[in-house]
Amino acid sequence: MTQDDTAAGAGISVTGLEKRFGMLTAVDDLSIEIESGEFLALLGPSGSGKSTVLMMLAGFEVPTAGSITIDGRDCTRLPPQKRNIGMVFQHYSLFPHLSVIDNVAFPLKMRGEAKAARRRRASEALEVVRLDGYGDRMPSQLSGGQRQRVALARAIVYQPRLLLMDEPLSALDKNLREEMQLEIKRLHSELGVTVVFVTHDQGEALTMADRVAILRGGRVQQISPARELYERPANLFSAGFIGEMNMIPAQWDGSGLLLNQGDRLDPPAAALVGRVPTGRATLAIRPERLRVTAADTPGALAADVEEVVYAGAGTLLIARLADGTEIRARVPSANLPRLREGERIGLAFDPDALLVYGEEAAA
Amino acid sequence: MTPGVTPGRLMLMAYVYLVLIFVLAPIVVILPMAFSEPDYLTFPPEGFTLGWFGEFFGNDRWMTATVFSLKIAFATSVVTVVVGTMATYALMRGAGRIGTLFQGLLIAPIVVPHIALAVALYLFFRQTGLSGTVAGYVMAHAIIAMPFVVFTVAAALSSVDATLEDAAMSCGASRFDAFRLVTLPLILPNVLSGALFAFILSFDEPVISFFLAGIRDKTLPRMMFDNIEQNLTPVIPAIAVLLTGVSIFVLVSAAILRRMAQARSIPAEEG
Amino acid sequence: MTLVSFTQPDGRNLSKAGITLLMAPFFMLIGFAFLYPLLSLLSISVTEPQFGFQNYERILDTPVYGKVLLRTLWIALLVSILSLFLAFPVAMAMVSSGGAMAVFITACILLPFWSSVLVRTAAWAVLLQRNGIINEGLQAIGIIDGPVRLLYTQGAVVVAMTHVLMPFMVLPIYGALRNIPQDYGRAAAICGAGPLRSFFEVTLPLAMPGVLGGFILVFLTALGYFITPALLGSPQEMMIATLISQQLREFLDWPFAAALVGVLTLFVTAITLVFSRVFRFDRMLGGQL
Repeated sequence: MTQDDTAAGAGISVTGLEKRFGMLTAVDDLSIEIESGEFLALLGPSGSGKSTVLMMLAGFEVPTAGSITIDGRDCTRLPPQKRNIGMVFQHYSLFPHLSVIDNVAFPLKMRGEAKAARRRRASEALEVVRLDGYGDRMPSQLSGGQRQRVALARAIVYQPRLLLMDEPLSALDKNLREEMQLEIKRLHSELGVTVVFVTHDQGEALTMADRVAILRGGRVQQISPARELYERPANLFSAGFIGEMNMIPAQWDGSGLLLNQGDRLDPPAAALVGRVPTGRATLAIRPERLRVTAADTPGALAADVEEVVYAGAGTLLIARLADGTEIRARVPSANLPRLREGERIGLAFDPDALLVYGEEAAA
Repeated sequence: MTPGVTPGRLMLMAYVYLVLIFVLAPIVVILPMAFSEPDYLTFPPEGFTLGWFGEFFGNDRWMTATVFSLKIAFATSVVTVVVGTMATYALMRGAGRIGTLFQGLLIAPIVVPHIALAVALYLFFRQTGLSGTVAGYVMAHAIIAMPFVVFTVAAALSSVDATLEDAAMSCGASRFDAFRLVTLPLILPNVLSGALFAFILSFDEPVISFFLAGIRDKTLPRMMFDNIEQNLTPVIPAIAVLLTGVSIFVLVSAAILRRMAQARSIPAEEG
Repeated sequence: MTLVSFTQPDGRNLSKAGITLLMAPFFMLIGFAFLYPLLSLLSISVTEPQFGFQNYERILDTPVYGKVLLRTLWIALLVSILSLFLAFPVAMAMVSSGGAMAVFITACILLPFWSSVLVRTAAWAVLLQRNGIINEGLQAIGIIDGPVRLLYTQGAVVVAMTHVLMPFMVLPIYGALRNIPQDYGRAAAICGAGPLRSFFEVTLPLAMPGVLGGFILVFLTALGYFITPALLGSPQEMMIATLISQQLREFLDWPFAAALVGVLTLFVTAITLVFSRVFRFDRMLGGQL
């Protein structure tokens, strides 16, 4: 995606961002370039600094170091009301004393638009979020999902170039959440606005975002498109944070992997993630890339079955390698032979499913 | 939002400090006058003497009034707490419509101005011979103090699990024993805090004291009123020092008692 | 008006007899020393010296007494408005400040609370006297040439009553402001509202019930207030409470005094009922301790 002046989304440049609260460093030397019209998810456990980054993008917190540039303009210390961006809060924050239409028209009122004009534009915004006709209701009369859509309408009514979202769907139940995820994606592609979306739900991040930034301890662990993040995590933290990952300790001697139980594997060169020095290393493979075969199949890992968890379409196998390391496999239930506890099986895989991390990759 | 140091905030705090000065200045000005030597009130105070305190404690009429007020306050505190706790307990153990009536009557003395009650009682006591008696004052003060005691006790009772009493009764205790041995100790800090509040309220109460007073049976507030009106000497600041000190002490104790209650109580669990 | 929730989730209830027994002392007390005397007083106002409403008519027909009523309303309104301008910023500062500062402000506001009204009124008498600080200060600055009569004026009453009643407004407003989630302010800001507009468009409307409750509380208390007007006001400019005192104790005109009490009480009760929704007695009283 190239920077285009006529595009509807802002380009954001965050450089060396730092936020300290006394002794605590919430955000540490963080730099991200966000393309115009991109949908970026900030993902991380609580305390990772993702909300603080969003607050600084919004202007509610001032960085202790670093800079934020929006559309080429330095906004680091600009107060929120002057940034001309839209924001959706976790608890919607609709003004309870105003009707739906007045809530949505509020930003236009702040910009001095006449009543008739702003009500008209507010109605249009409500149509975009598919709530036309709800203008005269009060927020207390709406359901959670409807309130969220009103909050969205209020955030986009003045066509901002940047939309910030602070875990907006975490208060909704599962079905509603999925519906709203699609709604937000649709809005994003219709409007072309740049979106920065904070969430702790990795599934949500993977489905909605163009790129996902994983934060931990105030620093960026990895920023990649979703697929790359899932299939090739940059370090062990990301590997463990996104989806499930088997992590098997091994020794790397420069050309092959020696597992504790004696198996020797020759991973392709592409399997190495970053620099892998000789010595201790970790072999990582996703559970769904393992297949059940006979125990003595060449190239397969031998393991003893510990638990078989049937889950409808798929079955989770929990097994142990000879050195005691737990290994999990997710296999289709159909055509799966009946397995008994303690039975020795082989777990086979394609070579391109392997990932090898050197010791220092344990960020 | 972090409250940064904006010009708006500076202006707000400057204004607030001015307001606080307005609020505190009269107190700050009058208290030191208790130690001033001349017998007219002047600021800054001149000299230093504890004589005015002596004047207060040595004077028969002041002491009689103080003792009178203390008696009334003590009795008010006891009556309000006993009557109030009994009624609140009943309210929270299934009072139904009587309870609604209770709540309505309870706040009536808050809504009705004190002067209305004072005048009504002035006439009523004259008719019934209760003028000037401790009992008369106590009844009046108890009515005014009752809502505060009830709210405190009600809050305490609702945080104590009612099934504790059930448990006691299933062990063979009578209802009264269950209350006395289980519930009462748990709400005691709040009850005492209410008692202290009723005490202070009664001791300081000026309006009813003014209207009910005869020639001989003046309360301390009534004597202070006369003194301020007719001949303001530094005795009043001296009394103010004593009263303020005692009030603060009493109310801090009440707050501490309530903290103790919170620390001790086991939160009521959902049935 | 909602008070503390008095419903219990469980626990065995008392018998009817038990409830009656426990509540009887309260009802007896309030019946004997509150209801009966008040009703008796009100009945005197319409039965003596003869049956009829002459006492009330006298209030309305005599210009002097009409002026007293209007003056009382005016002073009460003035005191309430002044208190609002003092209390609201203080409440705002309490909400937006950190813990230590908020506690400090609260302590300052409550400290005079805990010394009796008489002490505070006496303090104002001292401050406002001819050779008191305020007079001397004003002369020193040069605003006035000689001592000005400050005491025993309507102004003295207004200032002193504002001083006494203002803390009653701080707590309800503080409670109302504290209940506004922080995110509303943020939402307003991101929509483009500067601090001033955010305050008027969002904060103030949402705090209104608390503000209104505090305002009415102060207003009604000021209407019936006795001590301060009695000690600091002038006999030519009475409020209704001092008029009642005069009629009762100097002129011994009990029925007329009763009528005045009746007017005051009915007015106060009527306003309380009309605005009953903004009163949350449990919260306000709880805040005082």
